[in-house]
Amino acid sequence: MSAAETLDLGVTRGGDARFLQCATLSKTFDTRTGIVEALRKIELDVPLGEFVCFLGASGCGKSTLLSIIGGLETPSAGQVLLNGKAIVKPSPDLSFVFQDHGLFPWMTVEQNCAFSLKASGMGRAARLAKAREYLALVGLQGFGTRFPHELSGGMKQRVGIARALTTDPKLLLMDEPFGALDAQTRANLQQELLRIWSGRQATVLFVTHSIDEALILADRIVVFHPRPGRIRADVRVALPRPRDIHAPEFGAMARELEALLQTPT
Amino acid sequence: MRASRALGLVPILVLLLAWQWAASAGLYAAVLLPPPLAVAQVFLDEPAQLAYHMMASLTRVAIGVGWAFVIAVPLGLLIGRYHWLDMLTDWSIQMFRSFPPISLIPLALLFFGIGDKPAVVLIFISAFWPLIINTIFGVRSVERTLLRVAKSSRAGEWLIFTDIMLPASLPAIFTGLRLAIGAGWLTVVTAEMIAVRSGLGYMILNAQMTFRSDLIIAGILVIGVVGLAADQGVRALRGYLCRWQEGLTASPE
Ligand SMILES: Nc1ncnc2c1ncn2[C@@H]1O[C@H](COP(=O)(O)OP(=O)(O)O)[C@@H](O)[C@H]1O
Ligand SMILES: [Mg+2]
Repeated sequence: MSAAETLDLGVTRGGDARFLQCATLSKTFDTRTGIVEALRKIELDVPLGEFVCFLGASGCGKSTLLSIIGGLETPSAGQVLLNGKAIVKPSPDLSFVFQDHGLFPWMTVEQNCAFSLKASGMGRAARLAKAREYLALVGLQGFGTRFPHELSGGMKQRVGIARALTTDPKLLLMDEPFGALDAQTRANLQQELLRIWSGRQATVLFVTHSIDEALILADRIVVFHPRPGRIRADVRVALPRPRDIHAPEFGAMARELEALLQTPT
Repeated sequence: MRASRALGLVPILVLLLAWQWAASAGLYAAVLLPPPLAVAQVFLDEPAQLAYHMMASLTRVAIGVGWAFVIAVPLGLLIGRYHWLDMLTDWSIQMFRSFPPISLIPLALLFFGIGDKPAVVLIFISAFWPLIINTIFGVRSVERTLLRVAKSSRAGEWLIFTDIMLPASLPAIFTGLRLAIGAGWLTVVTAEMIAVRSGLGYMILNAQMTFRSDLIIAGILVIGVVGLAADQGVRALRGYLCRWQEGLTASPE
């Protein structure tokens, strides 16, 4: 990671640095048009409780990295360790939130929210009760019996977040979850997410290509570059929360990140 | 403005009126093609005979399509899910489904003799292909993200089939069922003309021997109306079971 630079601007939010470790992680895809090097030698350690944003243009391997960490894809080389144990398949300690919300259109909101619990073998009454509890947490009480097509984009993503939280994950993997939402809804959900996260001891890996979003949310921003996908910089954000977009420090960091995104390596 | 469903009756009524008028005006020999009122008389005079043969045909279609459904749908789900099964079966399905069921009647007779069996087997075969092909298609159309959700939730294969594959392919399965019932209904009439001694097909062929063209037309009408009713029934069931689809699919103006 010789090319990466670290701008350490302050304190680390507690926890064991060995919670999540990516060790010389590489991934290549064999496609019809040739070999795509989606990730090259990714080194990344994330402690428990940290909010990390993956920032980069599309095609630099952010989704691939998230999928590997989530056990949905296998790396071509290297490995991912969660609490010291190699991840080879999806772990019960982690949950995904996808950009296109991934709700089952034939299930009601409640059933959708309870799906992960059902998959884990929890009984019907217990899982529905828990689903309602988490729907209330994301502000959707009373919507349990609706179908997804009756909800707005923002509400659907709230259901996606509620479903991800039901299993009480230590690691939340979010792949551009707010990417398809309008600015206002997006801002609301960002604040909700921070509120929920601050109330629990969980690590969030949040993919975005918006500098502002990363600066509003993250303790730490990992900047990616494409072809091959690799880490360009690992930036700590020590600004106090709630973050003020109009603060000069915010603007300064935004410009810094912009430069990091653009400079060729 | 939303056109009323009743609009569909207009062409049928116009046809009936023109037909009645042509027969009364003596434009053709009414013995060969009796006018609507004469046909209506059959329904009044011989309802028991019509009902008996209709039930015989319906029962065969229900049994044949029913068996096709319980075998083709699970098989289609498996083939759609597992690539190797698809590779194994694709060519065979494409080949066997091209056989017109009628061409199998002689074989069915050799195997099963005269009776219900050859008819039901032929209905089964003609209903099987649209069901399995549409089910496979339905499974293919499952969104990738949904399978990723299932995998990351560590859902087992059984749960993936019951909670994801089956409901996701339900609209396509219903399309297959409509085609299957249509194909089965066509086949039963043909098969009954050759292989059985009851049913609407048998009744129509028998009416030809006894020169009862009014009964022939009454039989044909029953075939048409039952076909329409079955189709409407399946559509209604689909509308109910797939109501989650509302707003997801385009509907004609
Ligand atoms: N399943 C796949 N098969 C082939 N190529 C892939 C696959 N998934 C991702 N890629 C390629 O890997 C690179 C990184 O993709 P991705 O991880 O989706 O990037 P990002 O999420 O940062 O936009 C891209 O060039 C993409 O085309
Ligand atoms: Mg992506």
